[in-house]
Amino acid sequence: MQRSRWARFLVAAAAALAATTPSAEESTPSAPTSQELEKKLQQLSQEQEELKARLKELETQQTSKDKAQPQPSEASHPPSIFDNLSLWGYGEIYLTRPVHDPALTQTDLYRAVFGIGYRFDERLAFNSEYEIEHAVASSSDLGEFEVEQFYVEYQPAEWIAVTAGLFLMPFGFLNEHHEPTVFYGVQRNFVETVIIPSTWREGGFNLHGNTDVGIGWNVGVTTGFNLAKWNFAQEFPPYVTALNLETSNVAPLQATHQELSLASAEYLAEYLALNYEGLPGLLVGAAGFTGNAVKTPAPPNAPIPGTQRVWLWEAHARWTPGEFDLSALYSGGSITNVALANSANPGSPNPIPSAFFGAFAQAAYTLWQNATFRLSPFVRWETYNMGSRYEGTQGPTIPSGLVPVSPTPGDYGYWPQNHDRVWTVGASFFVTPHVVLKTDYQVFEVNGNFTRLDFGLGLSF
Amino acid sequence: MNLIIVLSIVEDRDPSSARPLARVWFAVATMALLISCSGDASSQPQPQPLSASATLGKALFFDKNLSASGKQSCATCHVPSRAFVEDPTTDEGFPVPLGGVDMDLPGFRNTPSLMYASFTPVFSISASGTPSGGFFRDGRASSLAAQAEQPFVSFFEMANQDAAAVLRRLQASSELSQFVAVFGPEALKDPGVTLRDVGLAIAAFETEDPSFHPFSSKYDYWLEGSAVLTTQEQRGLALFNDPAKGNCTSCHPSQRQGYSDHALFTDFTYDNVGIPRNWKIPANTAVPTSPVSGVPLSYVPPDGNLPPGAEYAFYDLGLCGPFSPSDSDPQHRALLTSTTSLCGFFKVPTLRNVAITAPYFHNGVFDTLQQVLEWYVTRDINNNTGNNPTPAEAGSPNGNPYASVGTFYTTADGTPDLYEYNDLPVEFDANVNIGEIPYTPPTFAGGQAPTLSAADIADMIAFLCTLTDGYDPANPSAYPVPVQCQLAAGTSPGRLSSAPHLAGTSP
Repeated sequence: MQRSRWARFLVAAAAALAATTPSAEESTPSAPTSQELEKKLQQLSQEQEELKARLKELETQQTSKDKAQPQPSEASHPPSIFDNLSLWGYGEIYLTRPVHDPALTQTDLYRAVFGIGYRFDERLAFNSEYEIEHAVASSSDLGEFEVEQFYVEYQPAEWIAVTAGLFLMPFGFLNEHHEPTVFYGVQRNFVETVIIPSTWREGGFNLHGNTDVGIGWNVGVTTGFNLAKWNFAQEFPPYVTALNLETSNVAPLQATHQELSLASAEYLAEYLALNYEGLPGLLVGAAGFTGNAVKTPAPPNAPIPGTQRVWLWEAHARWTPGEFDLSALYSGGSITNVALANSANPGSPNPIPSAFFGAFAQAAYTLWQNATFRLSPFVRWETYNMGSRYEGTQGPTIPSGLVPVSPTPGDYGYWPQNHDRVWTVGASFFVTPHVVLKTDYQVFEVNGNFTRLDFGLGLSF
Repeated sequence: MNLIIVLSIVEDRDPSSARPLARVWFAVATMALLISCSGDASSQPQPQPLSASATLGKALFFDKNLSASGKQSCATCHVPSRAFVEDPTTDEGFPVPLGGVDMDLPGFRNTPSLMYASFTPVFSISASGTPSGGFFRDGRASSLAAQAEQPFVSFFEMANQDAAAVLRRLQASSELSQFVAVFGPEALKDPGVTLRDVGLAIAAFETEDPSFHPFSSKYDYWLEGSAVLTTQEQRGLALFNDPAKGNCTSCHPSQRQGYSDHALFTDFTYDNVGIPRNWKIPANTAVPTSPVSGVPLSYVPPDGNLPPGAEYAFYDLGLCGPFSPSDSDPQHRALLTSTTSLCGFFKVPTLRNVAITAPYFHNGVFDTLQQVLEWYVTRDINNNTGNNPTPAEAGSPNGNPYASVGTFYTTADGTPDLYEYNDLPVEFDANVNIGEIPYTPPTFAGGQAPTLSAADIADMIAFLCTLTDGYDPANPSAYPVPVQCQLAAGTSPGRLSSAPHLAGTSP
């Protein structure tokens, strides 16, 4: 490959040279005579011979180099696993500073993710994604090592593909595409963290495809949510900062997702997602999920009689006219038939909600860019409510005022509310499309002590 | 002999309080008694007949002739109709039982209930250093069987000199043929093996017999949907669960935790709550003597962990001493006795049947739930000087508006003690739990407020009273309500019960 590139370059150079080299003679204002033209031709062919000789010399050099270091060429190298293997990944580092409590300033290698894919043939491919959170994963450290995707995809025809394994649910903007280079803000938005439980993955099958008019569709059957993990008896607040909220896994669907880890499949769930991208610069989509909740394998902490059904749906739109990037999303969910379970746990700070929802609107603008750099400030307004309706109880018994927030004596704080409205303003600076420096400032209207300043570094490859 | 004892136990059950199905079983059981010893009727759907080992264990449990005095069996201190704790009308009101050869030697701790004891996990220490499980209040026996052995050879309890003495008494007892049938004649050759097998048989009885785990309280029936809690009782449960009010569920979980299908109201961990010293325990006095005969108590153990210059000569320090382990993991116990960070820790007991298992805590220092709850929420109030408020302070603007709060922590003559947590050497005060509600509410506003008001305490007592077994949803009025529950509910004493006991049994 390298040789032919060199050859092409040289030929092009020769041609350019030929086109621009002035003739040895003075150019005359009058039209050149045939003699002069002949002389010129002779000169050119001489130069061409010289170039050919030079090229041959280089080719010889290259061949001897190749012999010393054999390189794969298009025609004759032995097949290697690296041909069909793809390696990809991304990572995020953040620094967050709650402005009202600087002692809780924290920085972390939040995610180091790598993906391995392999294409068996033009129809069948495998993809997987592995993630290490918080840099150190062990039984005594806070990090986790998890498999986020592991599936095969078979495409028998242009219009349809089937996927089987552990895969990301096609909900919202971020769940399927959450590299730090594709979203604004140092952390993911709250709606797509606590309402749509990104990174939300389930095990099962799906069929998906695209139509000619630009409608992408995805329908599948997967594992569902497990209410056995519900913790009614929180003694201390499960989170005391916004970052804690994002990582605490206490939101309704975060607390109950199974991640295909010894998952109960007593009941399965189904979903449908539709996206329309037929018009340039516009994406509109919606998705819905429903399934009965399982309550095994561990004995549930509380009896949850009856059968509960989990619903989640969302609708999103994104429009990128000119330098703007405008997006909006609404998501809502519900869990049915939890009145008896909640009435058996009066005084609990964490009953099972019957409904929860969130929404956001975001505008980003590319202020400045050149060949590699790009600066995009943005602003976002979002609201979330992890318990907008309760049955069998008036609502969570949230302690007011200062309470102990950990077993350490003297560690006092406030028990947070489970809903909020957040303004975020910030900017992303792309060093290249694959490396981004981000900053934002978030103001929380309800849990005012969550207000924070963030910096982040994200990369994807 | 054992047949007569068993018959008397069965006949004590009042057939009219049993459910119709149980009446049928009772008739069958009475007839079956002539053939074998069968289990009592209970709320279990299908009462299984006891195994041979458990049947033997039941006989051993009630046999007084296995004690040196001939007057004490397991059932003497673990009275079945009293949720397997002591009957307060015996032992002349002492918080600890009397035993020994002459039945005049007091013990050290309030008898723990055997109800639901079989669900206790084995003693262990987690990776983060948290101990849990084990038997006795300090977890020093690793199994129910190991615990059952110890009172046989305890100087101040059944007072057999050693395992050989137990073997001799067994050979003279009416259980001998049963014992040999279950364990074989080889089990009589080595007294250590014999005592171990006696423990195994008693443990089998405590595990299999449904009277140890009926789960027949009003709370259980309410969870099932067969009973209705009053508004006050529900308020009490809400306060029990509320992390800012009672926060009781953090150690006494009101929901099942995986140890059983029902809530056990204990997480089997250990805690040091800084309980007041109980001067009614003779071992705590300056010169320990028998309250009955005046004989000096030679068996009060020295505590190796006591720092020099401790205020009193004897302290019961729970996990770190002073009682030697029986058979439990020597490595664990060595760790516990060599460190002082767990001194004063005792196992969280179940709250099932708490309304009838007075007195409370490992040293029986409180007699009523009212006292217990008032102490919990006012323990550290006005505690800037380390003292609790005197009676004069109670009722003052910073004082406590509670009925029985005076001075919890007293010296032997009733005057306020210099130190608050006076059942611990001062050096171990750092071990006391002060970080969780209801102990120390935040002090940011200056002064402190108890997390429960007097009305809250009444509500919570009403809820705790629903944890007593023997409730019959078809016949709720037959439920004998203890006095302290009557008072909390503010109801007029109807069927007053001076000696609170389980429904279906006589006091």
